[in-house]
Amino acid sequence: MLELAGLDKRFGEKVVLDDLSLTVQPGQMFGFVGTNGAGKTTTMRIALGVLAPDAGEIHWHGAAVDRGVRRRWGYMPEERGLYPKMRIRDQLVYLAELHGMTRARAHESTERWLDRLQVAGGPADRLETLSLGNQQRVQLAAALVHEPELLVLDEPFSGLDPVGVDVMAGVLRERTAAGASVVFSSHQLELVESLCDAVGIINNGRMHAVGTVAELRGDDRAVRYRVRLAQAPTGWADELPGLKVLSAQDDTVLVELLAGTSEQALLDAARAAGRVLAFAPATPSLAELFREVVNGTEVGA
Amino acid sequence: MSTGGSTFWSAVRLVARREFTERIRDRGFQISVGVMLAILLASVAIPAAIGGGSNKYDVAFLGPQQTQLAQTAQRQATLLDVDVRVGSVADRAAAERALSDGKLDAVVDNGRILVDSKLADPLAAVLQSSWATVERDVRLGAAGIDPSAVNQASAIAPMPRTTLDPNADQRDARKGIAFIGTLVLYGMLMLFCMWVASGVVEEKSSRIVEILLATVPARALLTGKILGIGLLGLLQMLVTAVVGLAAASALGTIELTGAMVYPVALVLLWFVVGYAIYACMFAAAAARVSRQEDLQNVITPMTSLLIASFLAAVFLGQKGGTLAHVLAYVPPFSAMLQPAMTAADEVSVPENLAAFAVALLALVGLVRLAARMYEGAVLRMGGKVGFKESLGKSARKR
Repeated sequence: MLELAGLDKRFGEKVVLDDLSLTVQPGQMFGFVGTNGAGKTTTMRIALGVLAPDAGEIHWHGAAVDRGVRRRWGYMPEERGLYPKMRIRDQLVYLAELHGMTRARAHESTERWLDRLQVAGGPADRLETLSLGNQQRVQLAAALVHEPELLVLDEPFSGLDPVGVDVMAGVLRERTAAGASVVFSSHQLELVESLCDAVGIINNGRMHAVGTVAELRGDDRAVRYRVRLAQAPTGWADELPGLKVLSAQDDTVLVELLAGTSEQALLDAARAAGRVLAFAPATPSLAELFREVVNGTEVGA
Repeated sequence: MSTGGSTFWSAVRLVARREFTERIRDRGFQISVGVMLAILLASVAIPAAIGGGSNKYDVAFLGPQQTQLAQTAQRQATLLDVDVRVGSVADRAAAERALSDGKLDAVVDNGRILVDSKLADPLAAVLQSSWATVERDVRLGAAGIDPSAVNQASAIAPMPRTTLDPNADQRDARKGIAFIGTLVLYGMLMLFCMWVASGVVEEKSSRIVEILLATVPARALLTGKILGIGLLGLLQMLVTAVVGLAAASALGTIELTGAMVYPVALVLLWFVVGYAIYACMFAAAAARVSRQEDLQNVITPMTSLLIASFLAAVFLGQKGGTLAHVLAYVPPFSAMLQPAMTAADEVSVPENLAAFAVALLALVGLVRLAARMYEGAVLRMGGKVGFKESLGKSARKR
């Protein structure tokens, strides 16, 4: 279990992280979302020990993290980087050995991951001779080759084609199924929503919301419905009791039911007003939740 | 944060091994080894070829007394310690051809010496005295005097000589070795330190440094890089030294004695120390930039220092003088001045040791400074990291 507690970091006068905390369980896939400059990369760099925090603690399975622990982690930085002129096999074996694998196991693991990730090109090819997509795969292999217990990936999906996205998603699911923890950041919110068990929304260096997507929506959040009517008078819902109209656009209204109001009553009122084309609970997507956090406004308002 | 000692050194070993094997495979390295050996062999072989031509002479004789002249010339040559080989030519025309082709150095025809362009002094002495002897015997015979009695009377051994400075030749040879050694030392220091610098920038510009530093301490990365490239450099220096000495001794340019090998050993020793000093400076400077294009800009002070110490070794070192003697103790100047000045008998073994100790002390301080600058700067991407900034609060934990 990875725990970051109360991380603070400033670069000069600029506060980059402000009391940031998060927890990732074993076997959990944690999605990290936030605008550019929100502090995602800094958080990951601090977790990996590439940067030192000004304050705060990092624990792994309840104990303080040292380099020995971090050698069992895998990292894919946002700025992709491997040796351009080094042969891909040598490169992966080298990284595996640096992470504490023996030579023989490093070779074995390298072959397995090159095969699993379907890297085109021979292992003796230099990295710079591969296509960008293949270089990305080698980059992922570099993070995975030592079978890490924790994977930290900064924007792993950026620049991947749809097939690459599927391969990446499949591999990440495989790792969590094997008990590893995965933390990744992404701007592709639909992907985060479909992949992650837990999501953290970060803004201006603060963790604004953290939990499962369902939790983020909030169990106690007022129930919202989106109703689409044909041939209904404008403002048909405005005067209805026990609800609040949040928005009305063309033939669709978004309403919030106040406590104690039944959705059946709303449906009856809608049928009375016109022909119901659509009637569905409006659960906010992660993208909407994210905008809410970033803009400081309620979804749909 | 604790860093196990064994983890640190196993990381250093892995980094060093990668540097070593990647460079040795590098085409640029293989070519540089070839060029270095070619220059070395040429610098050994060319003086041997020029020098070798000067005391071996091919001559031929024509005319009535050619047999006596040839015999006398050979006798005289032995007495005067000149290497003369007597050949034969059919006639004057053939002789002139052989002279202009360079097959013969001189031909004696009927009391006249024929040469192509000029006559070397030792050969002239041999030919003139042979001519005088043969002519005298003819005249003595004509006057009824037995030439053999006169010959006996005039068979006087040449005067022995006492050389006041018997080691001058050896010293010249050692100066030659020192000059070549300084040249090789300069070239190798420049080459291998540039590799360290461009290796640092390569890791920074390709951003792999972030992955590496998530796994190994910055100091292990720096140490491994300097050691790996340095080992390769030392290996190349050893090969160069062995090939150079072997070729020079095979061609007869030098005799392999302790006095000849010592300057070479010194060059190797000072390569190790000089490389360590310069490599730290180059690496610390290189960590300040993120692109190869900016590298030249930050390492100019170091390359200038290297060039200055090379010039000091060549122009001051062999002559001595106060400035040279002071600089010989100042690292990094000492790295190039000490071997040159030792070969020129300007400094003694205790002075070598003293300068070596000073250099080692400086190295210890420099390693710390360089490691701190490297750690402070290596993860800062974008523009040039300021000198003070890199020395400031280290951005990473150890």
